[in-house]
Amino acid sequence: MNVPARPAALAAALSLGWLTGCSGAHASAQTATPGNLSLGSAPAREQVLARTLDDEPHSLDPLLAVDVPAQRVLDDLYEGLTTVDAYGRTVPGVASSWQQSADGLTWTFHLRPEARWSNGAPVTAQDFVFSWRRVVDPHTGAQAAQSLAPIKNAQQIAAGEADPRTLGVEALDAHTLRVHLVGPTPFLLDLVSQEYLYPEYAPVVLRYGDAWTTPAHLVGNGAFRLVERVIDNRIVLERNPRYWDAAHVRLQRVVYYVLPDRSTQVQRFLAGDVQWTDSFAANEYAYLKARLGSQVVSSPYLGIYKVDFNFDLPPFRDNWPLREALVLAIDRAPLVHAMRPFYEPAYTLMPPLPGYAVPVPAWTHLSTAARHALARELYHRAGYSDADPLRVDLDTSVQGADERHFYEAVAASWRAVLGADVHVDEREFKVLIQERELHKLALMHGAWIGDYPDPYTFLQTFYRGNSNNNGDYSNAAFDALIDQAGQEHDPARRYQLFEQAEAMLDADAAYVPLYYYATRHLVKPFLRGWHSNIMDRNLSRYMVVLEHQGS
Amino acid sequence: MGRYLLRRLLVAIPTLLLITTLGFALLHAAPGGPFDSDKRMLPAIQRAIEARYHLHEPLWRQYVRYLGDLAHGDFGPSFQYRGTSVNQIIAQGLPVDATVGLSALALALLLGGSIGVSAALRENSAWDFGSMAIAAVGIALPLFVVAPLLVLIFAVTLHWLPAGDWVAGSPSHLVLPAIALALPYAGYIARLMRGSTLEVLNSSFIRTAHAKGLPATRILWRHALRPALTPLVSYLGPAFAGVLTGSIVVETVFGLPGIGRFFITAAQNRDYTLVMGITVLYGALIILCNLLADLCYAWIDPRVRLS
Repeated sequence: MNVPARPAALAAALSLGWLTGCSGAHASAQTATPGNLSLGSAPAREQVLARTLDDEPHSLDPLLAVDVPAQRVLDDLYEGLTTVDAYGRTVPGVASSWQQSADGLTWTFHLRPEARWSNGAPVTAQDFVFSWRRVVDPHTGAQAAQSLAPIKNAQQIAAGEADPRTLGVEALDAHTLRVHLVGPTPFLLDLVSQEYLYPEYAPVVLRYGDAWTTPAHLVGNGAFRLVERVIDNRIVLERNPRYWDAAHVRLQRVVYYVLPDRSTQVQRFLAGDVQWTDSFAANEYAYLKARLGSQVVSSPYLGIYKVDFNFDLPPFRDNWPLREALVLAIDRAPLVHAMRPFYEPAYTLMPPLPGYAVPVPAWTHLSTAARHALARELYHRAGYSDADPLRVDLDTSVQGADERHFYEAVAASWRAVLGADVHVDEREFKVLIQERELHKLALMHGAWIGDYPDPYTFLQTFYRGNSNNNGDYSNAAFDALIDQAGQEHDPARRYQLFEQAEAMLDADAAYVPLYYYATRHLVKPFLRGWHSNIMDRNLSRYMVVLEHQGS
Repeated sequence: MGRYLLRRLLVAIPTLLLITTLGFALLHAAPGGPFDSDKRMLPAIQRAIEARYHLHEPLWRQYVRYLGDLAHGDFGPSFQYRGTSVNQIIAQGLPVDATVGLSALALALLLGGSIGVSAALRENSAWDFGSMAIAAVGIALPLFVVAPLLVLIFAVTLHWLPAGDWVAGSPSHLVLPAIALALPYAGYIARLMRGSTLEVLNSSFIRTAHAKGLPATRILWRHALRPALTPLVSYLGPAFAGVLTGSIVVETVFGLPGIGRFFITAAQNRDYTLVMGITVLYGALIILCNLLADLCYAWIDPRVRLS
């Protein structure tokens, strides 16, 4: 998944952390645990949750959603064949059970007959066939179409070369769905929990066109239904009594406030208006931690922050020593801990994933001095020196002072260790995207958030010709390993192939890893039923507000 | 008068056309398009989306198409918020901005006007210096400092008022945004009113009134105030258009669903139709408010002839 573009200049203009920060100097002492809050153990009589979103969802059509804010709301409005539990683990959703064929190429999902749309109609296998064909149909204009690549014919249809009806999905009867795959896809169950594979209720989609996602028309199959939407302000949901598991849904009402300015989110939380924030500004972390204690929640997130090289252009094309020198010269741990206290420094591509042995590059065992010496040696071997230093722009998008300072610190490391003259150049997000696409940039910001917890979603971005291969990296041996993993039936062996492929990228200095993302929320202690998870999916359906006094 | 109005309205058409043309050209000249994103699209999908919004057509045809829609009052669909038209966004946001903006302006006039006039009446007194110093601070303090401070004091600490959000018809949600927005205007109006009142009070016809033995209050209310309003009117025309279309800072800090934020976010997102929509709206409001200001001149000062 891409990292959503935020109204960055706005955030920059309004970086008000220092303001709230000032107040914390005297407030932190008495409110390390909120003094005016007393907590009961029984559910509160009024089950209303107010959450914030970092941005307005671009669409409430699950097939068109590409942004994290949309995913949050859609997780409440719809349900896929599978879904996630309160811990973020994949569990049965509309499908109560499934089987796969011996070769792993055919999956049969059994839908629960009690699953209902919010208008009372049963959720059927045909509804899935309808929406899956719709998402790969180029005329729908769904960016997510490529994520269906494991499904038979999906790529051909998305490229406009085949009819959407040839997609490898069929309804055997109202409650049995069969999916035909191109290759073994061990992450299929995670994939079908994603919003772009949610079912859609064909009658409203066909009848109202784009307007079907308005509160008047939207029909969903999730735990909540849409009652109000004010663009760039709020989205109001109410418990959907027709949801198959409605008996276990305790919140009556969920209000999502769209607040792109993170300081505003924090203020609304402090004022007691919201019980859950989507995020908070990085520079407010210390103050918030001191003031709110355990209400500040941060945990690993499936995303990496890195710098990409352009393999088409000098100075990085065919220049391994220079690339490796840049990778080695950064002192990640102190840098990340000083500027991003809730993030983990990254030494390789994949964030930690159970069962996957992330290959740790050998240089991480070197002492700082030895690593720096090696970096300098490689830098000199690449033909650069103090007299003739590397001069290059590091292109990033305008994301506010926080991001700029971090990149300037990275550039400063390169200057201090190597003597390289790297200039941080901030561009408007849309400009950065276009120039990156045209392969004009030599050294650029690159962030990636995995769609599902599987190495493939990260490694594919270095596959030759992949549309998200920012730097045009091309390595036949790497591609062969990815292809081989794509046909591998044994999950352990498949992971091993990915580990090899990832180690190959590291050995090739294909990118500069910086840090792994972390989720960061502010959560009131009386909100229960949620747990931090690596996908950062927190469905309102599991949450409950406990009795409390004060806010 | 009727002919004057008609002429002014007719002149507005080429002005608006110019704004539209320039806006359209600048927007399409900017690098990056509305559907460029971090995750790149497959070419077939890109083509389908471009066809949907007519972006594959030559620019002149897109322009003609846009003008045609505009003539029918249709600002087109938003590119960023699929399924939502620019007309809907404006219809949803303009009343919010207008409510906050007009309340702020009324407050600013009341506050700034009275402070300004009273300062002029006590020229060079401690009250004059004190109030003008506060007014200067009001102008100088940026909204993005004042607004969060108000939230911090009145919402987060004292819990007297909501920290943000908008509930139509709820006065408590209106108070903080209106005050925040009013303060700089009030400061400016106070200084403006002080200056113009002093100028009028020193003019010969006021001296004559004094010589005739008229009481000071009567001189102020009957003779001095009206001409002193003239500079204020020329300031209020564009200010009116400004507050109607919202303040990006106030909307952001208080989470108001206005249209002011889109002046920046829509431009960043290259949401062509939304940028064009609010630009044309703002242009039209400026023209309208300036026209109203001119009409006010004629009312205030009988020497002004509308012809």
